[in-house]
Amino acid sequence: MSASVDQITVIDEWESSDISLLETLDHVLNRGLVIAGEITISVADIDLIFVGLNVLVSSVETAHEVLRKHQME
Amino acid sequence: MSASAFYVYCIAESSIATQLAVDSLPAAIEDDAKLEWVTVNTLAALVSQVPRETYSEDSLAEHLTDATWTAIRAMRHETVVEYVAKRASAVPLRFGSIYLERAGIEKMLTEKGRELEEIIEHLRGREEWGVNVYCDRSVLLSSITSVSPVLRELVERAEQAPPGQSYLMQKKIGSLRVDEARTAVNRIIDQIEEKLKTQTDDARRLRILKVETTEHGELKAKFAFLVQRSGFEEFRDAAERLAQEHQAAGVRLELTGPWPVYNFVTGFSG
Repeated sequence: MSASVDQITVIDEWESSDISLLETLDHVLNRGLVIAGEITISVADIDLIFVGLNVLVSSVETAHEVLRKHQME
Repeated sequence: MSASAFYVYCIAESSIATQLAVDSLPAAIEDDAKLEWVTVNTLAALVSQVPRETYSEDSLAEHLTDATWTAIRAMRHETVVEYVAKRASAVPLRFGSIYLERAGIEKMLTEKGRELEEIIEHLRGREEWGVNVYCDRSVLLSSITSVSPVLRELVERAEQAPPGQSYLMQKKIGSLRVDEARTAVNRIIDQIEEKLKTQTDDARRLRILKVETTEHGELKAKFAFLVQRSGFEEFRDAAERLAQEHQAAGVRLELTGPWPVYNFVTGFSG
C-alpha cells in the first residue's frame, strides 16, 4: 500500500523505489541489536559499507537489479 | 557444508519457533542452506548455516566492499526478519552477526536470556515507523519573509532606501532570511518530534548519513517511533495533521514502515 495525500507519503510495502531500498539497507546495516557474536562487523565498517551502498542505490538501474534478484527468492 | 558457521537473523520466543515451520520461511542469506531455529528454553534464534570461508572476518570484510553482494544479502536478512516480526515479537539483529558453532548461540541465549525476554515483552504488539522530514528550501525561504516581522520591516525599508543603501540592506535581508529559515525548520522539527512522541511509546532521532535531496526537498530530520499496532491510525492522523500544518513552510513528511523494531533494541548490552 502506498497512501499519499498532498503533504505526506506513506511507504509501507516494497515498492521498486530507491527510497525503500535505501531505507532498508540503512535499517539492516546501521541498526538492530548488536550481539556479541564470534564474528561481527564493526561500526566503522558499517559506515563504509553504507557509503558504498549509497553509491549503488544512486544508480537506479543497479538498485532495481538488486530488488529484482531479491524478489526472485 | 562441512566448514560452516551460523548467521543469526533475529531472536523470538520458542513458542513462535514451533508455529513458524522452517519450510514456510523465506529464503536464507545463502542459497545452499535453509533457515533453522536454535532453541534454548523459552527463546529461539533464527539462523542459517553459511560457508565459514566466506563469512570469516577477512573474507567478509572483502565481500562487504562489493555493494551488490552486500545489498542482496542485506535484503534477504530484512525479508527474514520482517517475516517473523509480522507474526511475533522478535528482536532483530544487525546484519552480520555470526557464530562459529551452534553451541555459541545456545550459550548466548542462556546468558542473555533474561534481557532478551524483557526486550521481547517490551516490544509485544508494537512496530517501528520511520518519519522523514523534508524541506523545500525555496518554499521555506519565501514563506519566512511573510511570517517574520523583522524581515518584513527590513524589506519595506529597503524598498524605500536609496540604491546604495538598499543594496546593503538586501544583502542583510538575505542572510537574515537564511538564519530565520534555519531556526524555523528546527522549531518545526522539534514540534513534530514532540507531537508524535505523545502518540507513541518511544522515539529516536536518527542521524542523517548524507545530505539527501529528493523531489520533496532536502532531508532535514529522521525519526523512528515505536508504535502500538492498535494505535497506528491515530499516529498516522497526527502525522498528516502536522504535515498539513507545516506545508506552507515547504515541509513534507514521509512515513516508512512498519519495520521490525531495529531502533529500539540498541540499548541492550549484548
